[in-house]
Amino acid sequence: MSAAGSTTRRVDRRLARARGAVLVGAVVALLLLPVASDDLFYQNMAILTFLLAIMASSWNIISGYTGYVSLGQSAFLGIGAYTTALIALRFPDVTPFAFVPVAGLASAVIAAAVGVVLMRTRDHSFVILTIAFLFVTQIVVLNWPALTHGSSGVTLPLPRWDLDFQNWPFYYSLLILMLATIALSWWIRRTKFGMGLFAIRDDEDKAATVGINTSIYKVLSFVASAVFIGMAGGVFAYYLTFIEPRGMFDIVISVQVVLAVVLGGRGTLWGPVLGAFMIEPLFELTNTELPGGNWRLVLSGGLMAVVVLFLPRGIIPSLTSLGRARRERGKAALVGARLERPVRVRERARTPASSPDGRPILEVKGLRKSFGGLEAVAGASFAVPEGSICGLIGPNGSGKTTTFNLIGGTMSADAGEVLLDGRRIDRLRPWERAYLGLGRTFQITRLFRQMSVLENVVAPLRTFSWRQMTASAVGGTEARRADELLDFVGMRRFRDHPADELSFGQQKLVELAQILMLDPKVILLDEPAGGINPTLIEEIAEMIRELNSAGKTFLIVEHNLPMVLGLCDPLLVLARGACICTGTPREIQANPLVLDAYLGEDYAAEEEVETA
Amino acid sequence: MEQLVQTIALGLLVGGILALAASGLTLIFGVMDVVNVAHGALLILAAFLTWTVWREADLDPLLTVVLTTPVMFAVGGVLYFAALRRLRGTSPSMTVILTFAIAIVIEGVMGFVWGNTSHAVTPEYFTKSFRVGGLFFPKGQVFGALLAIAMLAILYVFLTRTWLGRAIRAASENPQAAQLTGINIAMVAGLAFAIGVATTGAGGSIISVLFTFAPGSHVQWISRLLGIIVLGGMGSLPGAVIGALLLGTAESLASVYISIRWATAVPFIVIFAVLLLRPQGIMGTRLREDVA
Repeated sequence: MSAAGSTTRRVDRRLARARGAVLVGAVVALLLLPVASDDLFYQNMAILTFLLAIMASSWNIISGYTGYVSLGQSAFLGIGAYTTALIALRFPDVTPFAFVPVAGLASAVIAAAVGVVLMRTRDHSFVILTIAFLFVTQIVVLNWPALTHGSSGVTLPLPRWDLDFQNWPFYYSLLILMLATIALSWWIRRTKFGMGLFAIRDDEDKAATVGINTSIYKVLSFVASAVFIGMAGGVFAYYLTFIEPRGMFDIVISVQVVLAVVLGGRGTLWGPVLGAFMIEPLFELTNTELPGGNWRLVLSGGLMAVVVLFLPRGIIPSLTSLGRARRERGKAALVGARLERPVRVRERARTPASSPDGRPILEVKGLRKSFGGLEAVAGASFAVPEGSICGLIGPNGSGKTTTFNLIGGTMSADAGEVLLDGRRIDRLRPWERAYLGLGRTFQITRLFRQMSVLENVVAPLRTFSWRQMTASAVGGTEARRADELLDFVGMRRFRDHPADELSFGQQKLVELAQILMLDPKVILLDEPAGGINPTLIEEIAEMIRELNSAGKTFLIVEHNLPMVLGLCDPLLVLARGACICTGTPREIQANPLVLDAYLGEDYAAEEEVETA
Repeated sequence: MEQLVQTIALGLLVGGILALAASGLTLIFGVMDVVNVAHGALLILAAFLTWTVWREADLDPLLTVVLTTPVMFAVGGVLYFAALRRLRGTSPSMTVILTFAIAIVIEGVMGFVWGNTSHAVTPEYFTKSFRVGGLFFPKGQVFGALLAIAMLAILYVFLTRTWLGRAIRAASENPQAAQLTGINIAMVAGLAFAIGVATTGAGGSIISVLFTFAPGSHVQWISRLLGIIVLGGMGSLPGAVIGALLLGTAESLASVYISIRWATAVPFIVIFAVLLLRPQGIMGTRLREDVA
């Protein structure tokens, strides 16, 4: 195992060195290209390739890392171009290059404002809005001639440098911008910010419950994917010397950007660059053979359809997994391995354990939530005593999970209050609730599927700060803490495994370690014993007891009655969206109301079916 | 006042025609959870087909519906089985990218076949109008709206009165349950997609008479149609009709009372406003999202 590990590491190191050498070589070659060849055709091709690579790498941040597909990102090319051009008109004596940073700034400001609005929607709605954003921008530019010269376009001053230098200034400035974009993309991947974006892509609601401020993260990623497009637009406008609304806000530009990224590999660092360096030269070469805009449309659209259908993951991820499959051939999967015996390091208490009948730490008062005509939670009120392991039981459809969603903030309540430690939290966002000490797991486990186990465990954040976002994604102290927690749940051996390769029970354990990273005061567990084997159920019950003796309060939804009766005290019974009684397990077992709730409702339901 | 009534009346006529085209888009979304970005391009394709038939055979463009509808049905079926079917179960973003790609290819192909210039179909009644009191109703728009209503009625009867139609609605409401009751979801999805695309056949024939069109105009049309289904509630057929009538009227009012150039912005403003203020649209209901 360790020998194999060190070979892999050696291979990795060799690969990294080879990659570094290729990279340096490529940059040197690109730096020398205009000096070596004075062919304007190739210079132009390189300039357009850099432009596409900048746009593709930028688009990859919002659509690859964060997972929000934007078809309107090329609007920032136009915004940058117009910003530069219009300022250049006012100051004819200054080189337009001076205004390129302003173009970046304008794009960032507009992206932030638009992002705040757009990022409130998801999936289809988001895509539609980005298309709308592109066209609204175009319409505004067309119909506001006083500012933008409308459909007649803007002519920039001609370059004044010596003709011997050809297009070098454009070439080098776009090359620098491209390297800067790649550097930004590389940097984001290594930070907490990037990790948060990946978490949002994998499961946004879940990300919010583990303390990731999804609103700010999403808007920032939108801004990050706009700035360099705007600056490139500024250079591009000067290069073209004439810009007009239809060309600058063309949705076909978006097609090429999307094509480059999907071809190279969405969400990877180099995929977008690779895609751009394949697509743009191809178009330039075919353009001489097959001139005309229609060919470009058919080619880019057709290629895109082919890539989406037959190579949906893109070149780089496909190659990576191919390599990995070859390296791991013949090795037994760790997934089937026996679990380690959990290491019983005593979880250190944040607060000394208090008696279970202490003051309520979590209170729910008159909580209500309807879906259409169905009232899933109808005035539920209960209290969870500090230091207790509180069980929440009730028949299917009695509103348990919805109650959890309302407490955790994944859904917002129609009415009622939720108090944590005496403080109202029902109007707070999920991550704010996490900061105050609330952690929850989900009935069907929700790990970030494309991340490793270790990354999953270090992903939760206990506060929000701007500085923290720039911190390294997996810091030293966090990694140590995560290892401790993985030891605690017996999953340390799996730390570098992709989360989606784990079995269901293993995922439950990792999810528990994950929320322990938040160091929550109150832990909500949604069916911790659901769908896993009896030995593991006993293990989990043991972990819960141990955490409880270290001062953690639990609220557990569970259908496994032996487990609940042995573990929880007090028990709350939910029926038809309201809490019908509270008591010790013995009291609950003896309570006729509870029997009625379990059996009576079933009878009622059956009768309804028969009469219907 | 008369101008206002006139403007609204024309808006409603156009709205009826928009409703037909949008009904296909919303049907596809409802059953397949796919935003068919190629819908606008298919609409323009049908308009070009109508133009050719009208030019070559001198057939009335509105009668061409009997040709364009089955042709577009076939196009939809081919697109589904050749392309969209392979993406079942993947992320919605991939299907959007795919239909976007299809739209671009269709635009390019139309450019080759018909050229990148504006076309219009001008039958002899093109310039004539009915007069009722002080109001005038262009014949093209009246015939077009009546035809659109007839097609919508056929679609409605099909969806509510036939087994296949009910299967489509069942698949749209709850695919898993529908599958358990023995409905072949893949076939139903393909059928729904083909029917959805077939509505662009009649829609395209009608708009070929009322609007000038070029290969590139599909972008404007898809925006309009998206605006409609977003407004009506994505996936809702009655919603699409209401949304279309409202949007048709709004565009008509904007072009008269603001300026014809800003009228193009109306669909986008509608999209922004609805998705941000009432994301479920007029007829959509917000159901329990499974966050468990």
